Amino acid sequence: MTILMKNKIIILLLLLISSQLFSQERYLTKEGYISFFSHSLVEDIKADNYQVLSVIDKKTGEIAIQLLMKSFMFKKALMQEHFNQSYVESYKYPKATFKGFILNLKELDNKNGTVAVEIKGILSIHGKEKEISTMANVQILKDQINLSGHFMVEVADFDIKIPIVVRNNIAKTIKITFDLQHKSYK
Amino acid sequence: MKTRNFKILLIGLILIIISLFFIINLYNKPFIDIKKSNPKIEITAQEILNDYQADESLANEKYVDNLIQIKGEIADISFDNGISIITLKDTSGFSSIICHMLPEANLNILKLKKENQVLIKGVCTGYLIDIMMVRCVLNNDNFDEK
Repeated sequence: MTILMKNKIIILLLLLISSQLFSQERYLTKEGYISFFSHSLVEDIKADNYQVLSVIDKKTGEIAIQLLMKSFMFKKALMQEHFNQSYVESYKYPKATFKGFILNLKELDNKNGTVAVEIKGILSIHGKEKEISTMANVQILKDQINLSGHFMVEVADFDIKIPIVVRNNIAKTIKITFDLQHKSYK
Repeated sequence: MKTRNFKILLIGLILIIISLFFIINLYNKPFIDIKKSNPKIEITAQEILNDYQADESLANEKYVDNLIQIKGEIADISFDNGISIITLKDTSGFSSIICHMLPEANLNILKLKKENQVLIKGVCTGYLIDIMMVRCVLNNDNFDEK
């Protein structure tokens, strides 16, 4: 057994123990939804990703989101190909991540229905990081935390280069929509 | 002279129409037909999971974007937001293979239960804490055996 494997097993064991200790506090989804939408005069482009991994720690309000760029599904095969090969270079940067906090999550526990919250954190796409702050809707149920909303990002912030030929087809500002339905996990 | 100009104009026009045809065709290029295409790799759930747990980037090079047929045991079947998802078991660990099925597979999924052995064909998109597969279909062999 290599040292690397031993380390992995130790980390896994630690994770297991910690998840046992805080079992009521962690909420997870492996099938969250994130989409992006680009509107231009030439065409509208939309892509959906239903394979988003997201974990919320209810105690601290910490949230960590991960997704695979290749899991974005487009209407046209060519768009998907260009997106992965030329724009976000998925072979080099296969994942996008967000790490941050849902502010004042603990205080919302006793409220019913959907409440507006602020989320702050670091969004990482195409190997570039950017601080993001956005409002979202949160709904806290017995074994569930639902988080949904949308925000805008600038393509240029993530060093994504769009060739001149299709510059008019792709918006400079992209709308990102999310709907993450976390369940508590044991 | 006049007929010569006309001929040049006609050839030019035909060339434009042909290139337009190709551009539109390329723009509307379809996704590969998963059902009719042969898988590039045939593998068991445990083998692909082992590969991913040993070296993720090496496994990505081997599997991502390729049409793969995986043989494995069903850990879970769910229908969320109109998408059916079959999860294949990782018998030696805490990971799994999450297969998002194409709508055309829905009817056959109803015939399946947990712990069934299945052959699933689809496109691998990578690894988070599970291996992710999209645009999956069930291999017909699943049902011929019964």
